Amino acid sequence: MKRLLIVFLALIIVPSAFAADSDLVQKAKAEGQVSFYANMTAIAPIMDVFNAQTGLAGKYTRISTSKFLATVLTEYQAGKLMADVLQAPLPVMQMLKAKGVLAPYTSASAADYPAWTRQDDQIQTFGIEYVGLIYNKELVKAADAPKRYEDLTDPRWKNKIVMANPASHATTISWLVGLKENVFKSEDKWMEFLKGLAANRPMLVKSFGPTPAPVESGEKHIAISMPKYIITKAPAPLDWARLEQPLMGTPRGIAISSSAKNPNAAKLFMDFWLTKKAMAKLSAEVGEYVLAPGVFPPIDGMDKAKVIPIRTLSEKEISSYGTMFKKIFKLH
Amino acid sequence: MVNKRSVLTPALIALVGFLTVCPVVMLIFGSFSTGLGAFGEFTLDKYIQGYTDPELGGIILNTIIFVLGSSFVATGLALLLAYLNTRTDIPFKFMFRIISIIPMMIPHILFSVSWVLLLNPSNGLINLFLRQIPGLENLAINIYSLPGMILVEGLLDLPIAYLILAPAMASFDISLEESSKVCGGSTLRTLFRVTLPVLRPAILAAFILSLVRSLASFAVPSVIGMPGRIYVLATHIYQSIATGFAADFGKAAAIGMSVLATSITLIYVYRYLTSESEKYVTISSRGYRPSVIELKGARYPMFGLVGILSMILIVLPVLVLLYTSMVPYSMIPSAKAFSMMSWKHWIEVINDPISLLSLKNSVFLGVFGATLGVTLSIFVAYVIVKVRSHASGLLESLSFLSFSFPGIVIGVGFMWFFVRTPLYATIWTLLIGYIATYLPYGVRPLTSAFVQVHSHLEESSQVCGAGPFTTMRRIVIPLLIPGIVSGWILMATMFVRELTLSVVLSRPGTEVLAVQIFRFAEDGLWGQLSALGIMMIIISTALVLLATLVGMKFKPVEE
Repeated sequence: MKRLLIVFLALIIVPSAFAADSDLVQKAKAEGQVSFYANMTAIAPIMDVFNAQTGLAGKYTRISTSKFLATVLTEYQAGKLMADVLQAPLPVMQMLKAKGVLAPYTSASAADYPAWTRQDDQIQTFGIEYVGLIYNKELVKAADAPKRYEDLTDPRWKNKIVMANPASHATTISWLVGLKENVFKSEDKWMEFLKGLAANRPMLVKSFGPTPAPVESGEKHIAISMPKYIITKAPAPLDWARLEQPLMGTPRGIAISSSAKNPNAAKLFMDFWLTKKAMAKLSAEVGEYVLAPGVFPPIDGMDKAKVIPIRTLSEKEISSYGTMFKKIFKLH
Repeated sequence: MVNKRSVLTPALIALVGFLTVCPVVMLIFGSFSTGLGAFGEFTLDKYIQGYTDPELGGIILNTIIFVLGSSFVATGLALLLAYLNTRTDIPFKFMFRIISIIPMMIPHILFSVSWVLLLNPSNGLINLFLRQIPGLENLAINIYSLPGMILVEGLLDLPIAYLILAPAMASFDISLEESSKVCGGSTLRTLFRVTLPVLRPAILAAFILSLVRSLASFAVPSVIGMPGRIYVLATHIYQSIATGFAADFGKAAAIGMSVLATSITLIYVYRYLTSESEKYVTISSRGYRPSVIELKGARYPMFGLVGILSMILIVLPVLVLLYTSMVPYSMIPSAKAFSMMSWKHWIEVINDPISLLSLKNSVFLGVFGATLGVTLSIFVAYVIVKVRSHASGLLESLSFLSFSFPGIVIGVGFMWFFVRTPLYATIWTLLIGYIATYLPYGVRPLTSAFVQVHSHLEESSQVCGAGPFTTMRRIVIPLLIPGIVSGWILMATMFVRELTLSVVLSRPGTEVLAVQIFRFAEDGLWGQLSALGIMMIIISTALVLLATLVGMKFKPVEE
């Protein structure tokens, strides 16, 4: 029933919002299908709308961030890249660009996106994998939630924090470095924060995925995690700390493949993906922070939050900061 | 016969070698190449970086404690359960048989999470329960510890050990024990001087397979070890590749080579320890009579003891899964939690558009893959046990190659290999990959079973004019039924829940249940994940019942 409703809405609403070039549409229809590799969650509803709207068969393959580069490069180098369109964190997209995997394409759908989202003619940034502090609102009163990142060093949070491993989780490493570059006034203050956080003995897990469960169940009280879980884990008693400082995250990019078997369908898909309607759906269904102007996830107060992208760190930087955090958090 | 055997051995070496060596060779290339792929300029840097890490010593020590501990737990528990199930008149045997293999049916990540909900030091359910007892108010049993990891990994490896030991126990010739008793040996003396030594090949096989599996295990070290800041080789390898966006699987393979070398050494140690195979023959042409020991007065107390043990160790985590699948989010049992229970997560899983296709593909891979895998395993086990040449030793090592590699690496090895073949992105890559990787699940129970069949039986058949294949079909295979059933169950349940290869090799149209598991786990959606886990248990139970019924139909001797 829900799927029928999606198809119905797509037929009614989307044509007006997605007025693609008819020549492109014809060529894309002749190709018949499009393959999309992404590391994101819950894309199926958007694929359904695209398929209903265009009559094409959009096929989606989810690949985890850790295997994304290995998979795409293996296929590309063997001449068997099956993806027409690729979506991944910006640092991964930039590595793919350097290897010649991406093709130039400027989508008209992103014309009103902020200027910084298009730094070259291949990758279009469309969202930020934003990181925040989420807490169990049955165990922590809103008034007691952190107001600044520094509040996490308060001993009252000892053994009550969960976060991804700062020695190995690339997004967390980049986020901690982002704090130094965007939030703390001096390196000393940043170090003080890191040492205070480490002294509170946070529980460390593999990635962001396992961070909300211990907070939901009350095993831990607060997580350095993603506010989007407030949507995906509803009705769990989760809320996010409204900080005076900005939220930060790794940008998400999308591009078409230089060896796309269905290049026109790929362009049509990218045009569709970047429309305000598609982005609104992504934001509403999975709480993503998208960059289509005026679109915000339905999380109370998020439309007023300042969310900024983190600089892309080189692999060498990530590795050396990871080693540094390993020492600070005493992970020997 | 000798000529046929001499053809069979190289043919099997070529086939098994092709299946298992190709991905490993790709990983070896990758470990010596610059860049992220299988081929690049020659370098030793990945080995130098991997093996000069100052933390490696501590990690190896943790790994040794972890794998030895969990293998002792798995083999010890399996021995107890297999003995009670196959050799005694304990009631409700079938229930214990299912309970012993339940951990094989659940995605390991889910079983580990279930134990975290039971025994985390903050609000684990068992801790909360025990804190109600006066004097224990401050109790905090911590699952995030080496003993916690050993317990959970031991339980997860229990089915492997059980399914190897049970067929060996079932075909035990009681006249050996009777001889001991006639000579004045007590029950305990008979157990330790006759029963267990005769079962040595099966016990060692179970122990070594558990060692190899726990060496390659990632779920327990990541879900339970990492939060406790206890790192073993598998998590060390993960961290070495995950630090950054450009995961270097060549470097992971370089570290993984030590795991591979350890596993291969263990196989040779096993062969050496069981080299005098004649000692372990229990089914000969002179009479074969497995029998049941009456527990008499101890029947129900023993049932109670094993029942409680099974309840706490296996049934309770499964009940936690059922509970998690019905509450809207991770919550401690309470009136509020029970009032919020619903089938929402189950409905979401069932309505998932690729669920039906995944289910179909997984059942196909489970049934067809396990049948094919066991057929191959019969021939491989035959050569390993009955030929016992250097070539058969090579074949045994080859059958362990892909299996021994840490799971997070071997999938990429298969991808590097299959992408160069026309099979890439088809369901056949999954089928071949599964069989190649999990071949020991078929070979090990069958090897243990073959060891117990005396060559007199084959020789009698040949004297009567039968060829080797007729002898195999008419004489040997019927005696191997318990081993075949065990191997099939191990393979089928593994293929239904397989995750490591599936997430790398699955593409649109070839989705399997693991794809859903991966998706739910990555998003932290434990409710849907638990619902899917229970569905997998139901499917696997159906497959186990099927295998058991077919096995009973063809069983040559009544127990």
